[in-house]
Amino acid sequence: MALTGRTGLLAAVGALAVLFAPQPGAAVLGLLLLLAALVTVDLLLAGAVRPLRLERSGERRVRLGDSVEVVLTVENPGRRRVRGRLRDAWSPSARAKPREQPLDVPAGERRRVVTTLVPLRRGDRESAGVTIRSVGPLGLAARQGSHAVPWAVRVLPPFLSRTHLPAKLSRLRELEGRNPVLIRGQGTEFDSLREYVAGDDVRSIDWRATARRSDVVVRTWRPERDRRVLIVLDTSRTSAGRVGVDPASGDPSGWPRLDWSLDAALLLAALATRAGDRVDFLAHDRAVRAWVTGASRTELLSVLVDTMAPIEAELIEADSESMVTAIMARASHRCLVVLLTDLNPAAMEEGLLPVLPQLASRHLVLLAAVSDPRVAAMAEGRETLEQVYDAAAAEHLRGERRRMTSRLRSHGVEVVDALPEQLAPALADAYLALKAAGRL
Amino acid sequence: MTAESSVSVPAPASAPTSPRAQDLWRRWRGVLGVLAFMIVLAAVTVLVSRPRPGGYLDPEATTPAGAHALAQLLRDQGVEIRPARSVDEARELAAPESLLLVTRTEFLAAGWLMDDLATLPGDRLLVEPVTEALQALAPGVSAGALTDVEPRAPGCTLPAAVKAGGAVTGGVSYNPPPGASSCYGGGLIGYTDGGRTVTVLGSGEFMTNRRLAEEGDAALAMNLAGSRPVVVWLAPTFPQAGPADGETSFADLVPAGVKWAAVQLLVAVVLVAFWRARRLGPVVAERLPVVVRAAETVEGRGRLYRSHGARDRAAAALRAAALDRIVPRLGLAGDVTPAGVVAAVAMRTGQDAQQAGAVLYGAAPGDDAGLVALARHLDTLERQVRDS
Repeated sequence: MALTGRTGLLAAVGALAVLFAPQPGAAVLGLLLLLAALVTVDLLLAGAVRPLRLERSGERRVRLGDSVEVVLTVENPGRRRVRGRLRDAWSPSARAKPREQPLDVPAGERRRVVTTLVPLRRGDRESAGVTIRSVGPLGLAARQGSHAVPWAVRVLPPFLSRTHLPAKLSRLRELEGRNPVLIRGQGTEFDSLREYVAGDDVRSIDWRATARRSDVVVRTWRPERDRRVLIVLDTSRTSAGRVGVDPASGDPSGWPRLDWSLDAALLLAALATRAGDRVDFLAHDRAVRAWVTGASRTELLSVLVDTMAPIEAELIEADSESMVTAIMARASHRCLVVLLTDLNPAAMEEGLLPVLPQLASRHLVLLAAVSDPRVAAMAEGRETLEQVYDAAAAEHLRGERRRMTSRLRSHGVEVVDALPEQLAPALADAYLALKAAGRL
Repeated sequence: MTAESSVSVPAPASAPTSPRAQDLWRRWRGVLGVLAFMIVLAAVTVLVSRPRPGGYLDPEATTPAGAHALAQLLRDQGVEIRPARSVDEARELAAPESLLLVTRTEFLAAGWLMDDLATLPGDRLLVEPVTEALQALAPGVSAGALTDVEPRAPGCTLPAAVKAGGAVTGGVSYNPPPGASSCYGGGLIGYTDGGRTVTVLGSGEFMTNRRLAEEGDAALAMNLAGSRPVVVWLAPTFPQAGPADGETSFADLVPAGVKWAAVQLLVAVVLVAFWRARRLGPVVAERLPVVVRAAETVEGRGRLYRSHGARDRAAAALRAAALDRIVPRLGLAGDVTPAGVVAAVAMRTGQDAQQAGAVLYGAAPGDDAGLVALARHLDTLERQVRDS
């Protein structure tokens, strides 16, 4: 049960009556008994909360940054009207609005209550229960009760880099229609025969086909297809570090590296699927956190975002050896392994570097890392002594990253080290360059 | 992607989670039962085991130190016992024909209380009075040595003592004023002062329930306390204090209606508190992600450099970064010697080779200003290489 402000107001007004009553002590006792009687009557007349039937409907998925409406249907099978307030409670990061709302369900009827969620973070947001306060006809007291109405909304990664997709796709088409001479190489394959037009390279004339027909016929080539791309996401402690500005909330404390990496992975997956390659996805720190394989081209993106949504950075050191073992076990043929991790010199030195040659000997490895714009800004500081020292520290780190990059390149590993917003397009460009060069 | 997957899943049923009244009752009845049992047990124990609590020489206390037996004996003899717990009560009960029996005077320590008592009419029987009580109620008597409480012979001519014979007396022995009788070695002083008889006892032990049956205790006690038809028995049970005569506190002046209205307002406040305290549903907890700015380690390193004045390391880091950018611009290979770099820079920018060499490969700056200057020189050099 719960009281309302009206009860307190009534008691306060009663104080005035007590002031002028001939027998104030008796008046206080009488008022108390009267209030107790009124509250009891009100409680008895209030609509019961327990028998209410609640049902949910609405969206179960939302992209981070968008809002989602969750509908709650309240059915009142009792004999009394249920009037009062309702709170559909969600975890704070779901940012449910309104926090509580009025409810009025006549006996035997049902009402819809809509709560809008604007989630702040990726992952599964679960309903924390519905609480209803049913006020009696006098408005003095209320019955209150909670119902568990399970519902979860999966907040998907926002895929902000999808704005880059059209540009990258047109690059891909350019690649496909390119003059065969410029791109013919190891990784190209025979596509079709067509009539010679002025400007075609004479070396691409297929003499055998020309002999069969009256026209001169040239062979055309296209970039290789049906290659495998394995995107490996490092979810260890280095991926928890925040860089840049959180695009969902504008929080200047930044967005985890993991989220930037996911964004880049989604653009790469979308591009590679259109280019006819098969994309697999692996998330790993000390154990496999997620694994997506064999998804059809039409479904791949939705399966990927669904898998990525609950992935969180774990505060543990990555086990690169077991990661390489996991990759080797899953990718038997040569494929492009895209490692989304951090170029942290200390962690790299101990973890990835010793096992990288093993991986690079079998697969083409592309390592993509997010660099910190804050470090770049610090390296520019020259105004005060503090800024110069900070600049020196920033340059120290950048130097280490550069050295690490060159060491990785000496192992035959491609490296993309880009600022948060530029990581996704840079990774897509690197992929397109590899494809153009026929290195996949 | 969102629409198809959300349609087919059936909505799970809702279930009430709040406890019902009978659930609450089921959960708490054990505790409530134990509590009620304990209260009943305590009440029964108090009522059954009769020794009514009370202080030393309390006329209603049945404990060994009480004086219920003596009071009962006196009542049987037709003496009216009027127990008083405070000086105010004693004043209301006192009459010219009464005997004022005062015990536990340590609870009446305030001087004005003693003065109040001194104005009361009738005879006085003082049991183990403290010095203030002695001065106010039996002027002229002064306390002497402390003696053992033991059976003694009267050794005086006071009729009450002589008739009673030996009794367990002693305690404080008093020095009698002129004309007073001193019995039991100074343990009992009796004298008449302005028409009233004042008796001072060094020990009230013989009047207690425990000792009343010994020797001539009962006789002595009844002779002393039963000398008048009415006994006002002042036996305070706690230290007395209160307003002095003629003084009224603020609370006395406030009308009762206002006080009760305040009580009613308090009730209103409690009700409002209940209204505000009841939450609409529980607090929702959530596992929060860790917030670590990736740049924190770099900022920490910068502060370490600064706090230790590591100018050499800072200068080396800045120079290495500048060289990493300058050398590719000059079209030189990575394994070029410092002299080669300096020569190329001097040629490209037209600067003095020695100066460029000092900026790029010179000694670590000697002070902080030197470090800032070096950083700016490096910037200038880099810009000149880039723009030339």
